[in-house]
Amino acid sequence: MAGIFSKNDKSLKIIIVGCGKVGMALAERLSHEKHDVTVIDTDSDKVTKATTLYDVMGVTGNGASFNVQNEAGINKTDLIIAVTPSDELNLLCCTIAQKVGECAAIARVRNPDYSDELSYLRKQLGLSLIINPELETAREMSRLLRLPNAISMNSFAKGHVELVKFKLPENNMLVGKKIKDIGASNLGVLICGIESEGTLDIPDGSNVFKTGDLVSFIATPINTLKFFKHIGMKSKHVKDCIIVGGGKTSYYLAKQLTEMNISVKLIEKDMESCEELSTLLPKALIINGDGADESLLFEEGIKETGSFIPLTGLDEENILLTLFAKKYSKAKVITKINRGTFNDVIDGLDIGSVIYPRYMSTETIVKYVRGMQNSIGSNIETLYHIFENRAEAIEFEITEESQVTGKPLMELNLKTDLLVACINRKGKIIIPRGNDTIQPGDTVVIITAHTGFKDVRDILK
Amino acid sequence: MNYRVVAYILGWVLNIEAAFMLVPYLVSLIYGEQEKGMAFVWVMLGAAAVGTLMVIKKPKDTTFYLKEGFVTVALSWIMMSAVGALPFVINGDIPHYVDAFFETVSGFTTTGASILSDVEALARCSMFWRCFTHWIGGMGVLVFLLAIVPMAGGTHMNLMKAESPGPSVGKIVPKVKNNAIFLYSIYIVMTVVMVIFLLVGDMSLYDSICTAFGTAGTGGFGLYNDSFMSQSPYIQWVVTVFMILFGVNFGVYFLIATGKLKDAFKHEEARAYFAIIFVAAAIMFIDLRDVIKGTGEVLRHIFFQIGSIMTTTGFASVDFDQWPETSKTVLVLLMFIGACAGSTGGGIKVVRILILFKTFVKEIISFLHPRSVKKVKSEGKVVEHEILRATNVYFATFMFLFVGSILLISLEGKDMVTNFTAVAATINNIGPGLSLVGPTGNFGFFSDFSKLVLSFDMLAGRLELFPLLLLFCPSVWKPKKRLNV
Repeated sequence: MAGIFSKNDKSLKIIIVGCGKVGMALAERLSHEKHDVTVIDTDSDKVTKATTLYDVMGVTGNGASFNVQNEAGINKTDLIIAVTPSDELNLLCCTIAQKVGECAAIARVRNPDYSDELSYLRKQLGLSLIINPELETAREMSRLLRLPNAISMNSFAKGHVELVKFKLPENNMLVGKKIKDIGASNLGVLICGIESEGTLDIPDGSNVFKTGDLVSFIATPINTLKFFKHIGMKSKHVKDCIIVGGGKTSYYLAKQLTEMNISVKLIEKDMESCEELSTLLPKALIINGDGADESLLFEEGIKETGSFIPLTGLDEENILLTLFAKKYSKAKVITKINRGTFNDVIDGLDIGSVIYPRYMSTETIVKYVRGMQNSIGSNIETLYHIFENRAEAIEFEITEESQVTGKPLMELNLKTDLLVACINRKGKIIIPRGNDTIQPGDTVVIITAHTGFKDVRDILK
Repeated sequence: MNYRVVAYILGWVLNIEAAFMLVPYLVSLIYGEQEKGMAFVWVMLGAAAVGTLMVIKKPKDTTFYLKEGFVTVALSWIMMSAVGALPFVINGDIPHYVDAFFETVSGFTTTGASILSDVEALARCSMFWRCFTHWIGGMGVLVFLLAIVPMAGGTHMNLMKAESPGPSVGKIVPKVKNNAIFLYSIYIVMTVVMVIFLLVGDMSLYDSICTAFGTAGTGGFGLYNDSFMSQSPYIQWVVTVFMILFGVNFGVYFLIATGKLKDAFKHEEARAYFAIIFVAAAIMFIDLRDVIKGTGEVLRHIFFQIGSIMTTTGFASVDFDQWPETSKTVLVLLMFIGACAGSTGGGIKVVRILILFKTFVKEIISFLHPRSVKKVKSEGKVVEHEILRATNVYFATFMFLFVGSILLISLEGKDMVTNFTAVAATINNIGPGLSLVGPTGNFGFFSDFSKLVLSFDMLAGRLELFPLLLLFCPSVWKPKKRLNV
């Protein structure tokens, strides 16, 4: 009997406020990973559905109310995740929960009004993470459009930095050169992993590139483009894009694409939204019309466009539109699927790249929760397993002065097989060189083949 | 219907029952009753063999809806009773199978109605098994199963919903497994505490354990032919207090265990439960103060009987069949109210009575003010329409089943009071009724047919009617169509 009563100390107590698509997906994933999950929603039907489908407890009520949070056991909770439809309610939930329960808090904030202030909000409200599924979806889409060369891409520091992996083609200018000779750091790029013939190297500068190597580097999105250009890897750049629908995702996507000098045509039915979008997106061409109208699509050049992304609120419409685009053009198409049902049918369709926003935001949170499990009692912010689990990328929050702060990196006695890959100083990304220092208040991404780092001081020998 | 999953869970139930049977066998070794005890070994081996065959392969398709939950629970309980009756037949303590089945159903459903006229003649191991079934049935075997066997997704809630008593089954902690562990922990701790109190009162260890099992499950199988009539006042008080404690919603104990004393004290159902006990006691005190001598004596018997009947235990400290009509009527009414939801007791449940009463008041008001809008509240929260509807339907179904059973029993031609209270005492899982089935009588004189009807009532009462009734719907048994992808 004793075994039954022994507690699994790895399981966290988690409250999820809001049982929408993301809330339900989270309840499923987190309860599946053996956490103690409690869901809160004002709609008792949704709560009943969640408690029937998954092994979670349900509380009906307003998740921002102190009493309701208390009933859900806030004072013993490790993490609260607020994913109600309202940004403000989510922030309020988290703020109250932290005052009462001293728990970690994750809020979903997706209104474009706040999108530039997320890092500020997070700091000021003391949140662990702010997720913006629309923004993440848009980022994923713009990445897919931007980098046909990349094999895979992980994003770090809330998407400000990415780890890009690509295969080195024959006769590339890099082949035969040493890392320190290519001047990558001048471009704001850090080569942080070379996989050749099944072995992984975390390079120290003397490694030589060979044809067929899988090279991973870390850089900001813009520097990634510059780097590819520099090494002469022809990327079949997408030059223009037609977006159908003027929702939040469309706005974020159009904004990112115009920043990357991709010309954007955005088709939206509602005149008022069009006017608003044209104010917010001066570089984009906003077209007022029905995106599901064949003749309009032909008129706006669906046959010639480099990419076509329908982002209407209806999955069915999106699928039909991409099928249509596939038929009449060679454009790169991306389909967004909101619901998680009928996957078997969807997989069988020729609709280009498929993106599931709800899985993306759950992935982000699940990743965070896993990092949290690893970080109880230490200052690890997030943890990623990379290179097929052979290495870890750990993001530390530097809360106080220690042996590693204030000194130039080249003076630190670092372990081998380890890289200080990136320093995020209040939203500003520094790809560190020997003279850079780590300061209290920074978050630092460490890439290492060692495992089990508990504290940033573990990077020292 | 997903037969494979149902069979898998039934297999586990068989295994667990087999494991439980080890205990009476050990008892038989202690008291030198190897011959009688061997019956348990044979049944145990048989059950374990069949059970293991059923669980050896995990089902691939784990779809499990409420329908599967209901059917699994109903079949589990019928199967447990059918298997649990075998040792009695094999070792000859209750040679007739229908009698043994009735007795085991009565045990598992924590009814305590017996067909035996002389319980003292039973072998100790049989007696122990009889009391042990109360303890197992009190908290529920599937709850136990949830605590130890990992199940997939929706299985948990649908099983718990089907087995746990009460109009709306909620959880107290997020994981079903931890819920089940918590409930069983409280159950075990309280049982142990009670055994200690009984030992202090000079009861033998064997008697103490059997009595505690009967009380904890709010069962009611007595160790002696006269139940508790010849026990000391101290023992009677201990049993009274624990009967009443086991009738309280276990959610209250969770609140106490987590230090929320204030909330525990505010628990509406528990308050109503104690209020009913004291009101009933006051009425009976007025009625009985001249019948029994000595205030202490009167109070002791009143509280013992109220505790015993209301929590649907069914012990007796006195032959209340001899009491005046008012007191007897109060007791019969208490039979229907029953204990709190989420306890080990049976009956309609205090919370349902509360909801029904509040609905009644609301309807009266809406006659006076046809446009008035009023929501029924319980525990400070609005009762959802679904639950109101379910409660009303439960009450109606309960009445149909009750009336129907009386009609079937009356075919034998026994007197009205016997028929009425026999059905009331079984469907509410109490045990003794009045007249022929009173505290000094038993159910042995009924025909096999009536015994089966009453067994059905006991199971229906314990599982809250619907799981058993669902077994009679042909559409439940349609196999699930498989899509070959």
